[in-house]
Amino acid sequence: MKIFIMFFSLQLMLSGAFAQVQISGKVTDQGKMPLSGANVFFHGTYDGATADSLGRFKFKTSLKGIQKLTASFIGYKPFQRKLNLDSLNSFILNIVLEESGEQIDEVVINAGAFEASDEKKAVILRMFDVATTPSAQGDIFGALGSLPGVQKVGEDGRVFVRGGEAYETKTYMDGMQVSTPFLSKMPDMPTRGRFSPLLFSGTLFSTGAYSAEYGQALSSIVDMKTNGVEMEEKSSISIMTVGVMGSTIKCWKNASLSLSGDYVTSGLSNTINKQQVDWIKSPFGVDGTVMYRLKTGKTGLYKFFGAFNNSSSGLNYPNTQTGINHDILANSGNVFLNNTWSSMIGEKWMMKSGVVLNYDRQKFDIDQDQMVTTKRMTQCKLDFHHFLNDQTELKLGGDWVNYAYEQNIRMGGNYSLPFTNNELSGFGEIEYKLTKKLATRFGARLENSTLLKETTLVPRFSGAYKTGNHSQVSLACGQFYQNPEDDYLKFAPRLNPEKASHAVMTWQYLTEQKTFRVEAYRKKYYNLVKYTKPLTTNPLDYSNTGNGHAEGIDFFWRDKETFKLTDYWISYSWINARRNYRDFPKAAIPTYLSEHNLSLVYKRFFEPLRTFASVTYSFASSRPYHDPNLSGFMNAKTTAYNDISLSLTYLMQIFGKQSVLHLMVNNLAGFDTVYGYNFSNTPDAAGHYESTPIKSPYVRQIIFLVSIML
Amino acid sequence: MKKLIVSLALVSLFSICFANETYQTAMNQSIEKLFQVKSIPEYIEVANRFERISNIEKTEWLPLYYSAFAYVMISFQESENVKKDNYLDQAQKYLDRAMAIDPNESELHLLQGFLYPSRMTVDPMNRGMALMPEMNKSLDKALELNPDNPRVYYLRATMTFHTPQEYGGGASKALPLFLLAEEKFSIFKPKTAISPNWGKEMNESELKKVQETPKE
Repeated sequence: MKIFIMFFSLQLMLSGAFAQVQISGKVTDQGKMPLSGANVFFHGTYDGATADSLGRFKFKTSLKGIQKLTASFIGYKPFQRKLNLDSLNSFILNIVLEESGEQIDEVVINAGAFEASDEKKAVILRMFDVATTPSAQGDIFGALGSLPGVQKVGEDGRVFVRGGEAYETKTYMDGMQVSTPFLSKMPDMPTRGRFSPLLFSGTLFSTGAYSAEYGQALSSIVDMKTNGVEMEEKSSISIMTVGVMGSTIKCWKNASLSLSGDYVTSGLSNTINKQQVDWIKSPFGVDGTVMYRLKTGKTGLYKFFGAFNNSSSGLNYPNTQTGINHDILANSGNVFLNNTWSSMIGEKWMMKSGVVLNYDRQKFDIDQDQMVTTKRMTQCKLDFHHFLNDQTELKLGGDWVNYAYEQNIRMGGNYSLPFTNNELSGFGEIEYKLTKKLATRFGARLENSTLLKETTLVPRFSGAYKTGNHSQVSLACGQFYQNPEDDYLKFAPRLNPEKASHAVMTWQYLTEQKTFRVEAYRKKYYNLVKYTKPLTTNPLDYSNTGNGHAEGIDFFWRDKETFKLTDYWISYSWINARRNYRDFPKAAIPTYLSEHNLSLVYKRFFEPLRTFASVTYSFASSRPYHDPNLSGFMNAKTTAYNDISLSLTYLMQIFGKQSVLHLMVNNLAGFDTVYGYNFSNTPDAAGHYESTPIKSPYVRQIIFLVSIML
Repeated sequence: MKKLIVSLALVSLFSICFANETYQTAMNQSIEKLFQVKSIPEYIEVANRFERISNIEKTEWLPLYYSAFAYVMISFQESENVKKDNYLDQAQKYLDRAMAIDPNESELHLLQGFLYPSRMTVDPMNRGMALMPEMNKSLDKALELNPDNPRVYYLRATMTFHTPQEYGGGASKALPLFLLAEEKFSIFKPKTAISPNWGKEMNESELKKVQETPKE
């Protein structure tokens, strides 16, 4: 009997299993589009089905009682609903899934900012792009020149942004200041950045209205992110027409050490490429870089970056102003040590800390005279990010910079011009996403300088609104302070900081393959340094009475899709700017400014030839200069600037090792551009002021490189 | 009474066996389907089945492994880059969950090593440099955990075959690797009936292609 009961109950159990309930219906998104492939099932069971091409699904279940029905699909929030399966034999459901933030990229505050990153999916540039832009000649700052908002200033090589001088662009590495990012500069000759683009995995370049995290920059910031822990041990050696380079990487479980060094000498290159400069000592340099990375705990990363440089060069410089030819010998040494450590503290706090030391010494021997300038910079920085919730992020931070400048001049007597500044700054910023589509950021920055005896407080604001899946509008504005240049502070340490205000509006369309971006801005300058005559030593000749403005529109278009294996981008900038600063008698367009700037970068991989080719074309409209032979101020214009540069990269094997042949040709067409003129201080007997044109040191430059992976 | 207890115990034992059998059956059926299907919707359908299984069998890495595998296969078919990345993100999610269950499973590291090349195809120039070392690391780990995993040899051989000669690849370099993989496949015995056991045919067809490639 009992066995019978047991058997019966088993029967009942099994028969129960056959009394099935049918579930059917449709899965769509909020726009009623069917979601083919959605997974519809009862939670914790095998029973379920996949929606077909019309979003329909249908399945039977033997489950009983109240069960939880789940529908899930990539990029959508899962849907859940309880059904009482005892109540009905069939259910028809229309399920509407809501998009999760992962599918559409969330709104990102980006007005004014160009980001090159290897980590994010959709960015405007990758570091590879930076390294392979021919007009850049392997220089990060050179590559920024192909972006809108940057002026082409061939005789300088630094970054002039939106009507600003070169010193208004500040360079950072992993958020820490780099006080001397450029190699030392000879008069009327372009310089270049110290660091190889290969050391970085990303660069944030902002042409205006940046976050309160960045201070002491009137126009622009460049924040370079160094590589993380390396995964692969490798070594390489490169031989170039301008020297040799080598690098090696060693890896451990949670750490890596990278060493690289180079010896650069342009003696051979200067013989191949006809020079328009009378070198008495060909430029040469020795560089070394050490990078150590260590993972600390689960989220921590310690980074050490050390760079050492020694370089020298010499030239015979015809000084038109005085009519005397000078022999100038330059010798410089630079040490840059950056330590940063970042780590999560708990789940909601992140800490970023850093200590940087920068020592720079430049010695110029000008005939019998000598000028030695040393700069010592120490910065300590501590930032906290607090992730309050999904919508809100809070940033707080402070930093202290000690900067000691000293210039010793031996010129008919000994003069010393030292000054020291301690700059204490703090910032706070709150980013709040009102919705997935609308984000705002409010910030403020407080700075105090012991030298200038000034405390400044400035607001920053930015906001962005997503207008479509790939498009958004952004708005940003803010005020910015920067201490006057060393060359003024050494004579007049009581000057006030210079001030700028920015307003930027951007519309951007960004997919992984195409980018279009248009940005309009308006900038105002206050408290710019003015002086009665150049190089005057009297502090009273300097004042903060200058001002200026700049407004313009920048366009950027990049397309990696339309043409096979081809990637190109076009930048165009229009600017209208005036300044009344330095010894200007009235507001005028400064000499470095061209109204129109255009860059075209074209890159293509030719598969059968295994060659990667890049071409850039750059154009800048004429620049003003002051001709004392004519009446008025800034009364003349140069001819327009044109440049075509080319680079070819060929992949091959040498002795069974992977190798790269690289050829760079700068100014292929040989345009002999005149950037401006130097005029004599005194007129000749006929009352005419003599002039010499300022030109590139070479007309055409060819560099050849062989790189072998060991 | 005693009999009742015995019979209750029997019933419960029966239901446990039944449940376990359900898992085996469901896995068997789904795996069979997985290696038959061709189109993206079909792959998604199978991946969904494995996902449903994974929701119950929370200590099993295999259902998640197969879901991830299906999405990797989908990604190789998808030509649109954005979609491809989305599919790979999905695969990575399943794989991460599986990895959390058994971090020392050779097959999971192998699958991770199989996922990276698909990521690379989205943007070879930029991602290649970054993901190659990651992929090698995953394959090294897979080999360390099981030196006889034939799929590691197969993937290494395929990568070599598709790498330009200038970078140490090419058919002649790949040939011995494919032969080695073939040898490893011939002696390979999956741990269970539902353990990963794919790649033999793929290896054979690639090997054929290599042998048909004219000598440089």
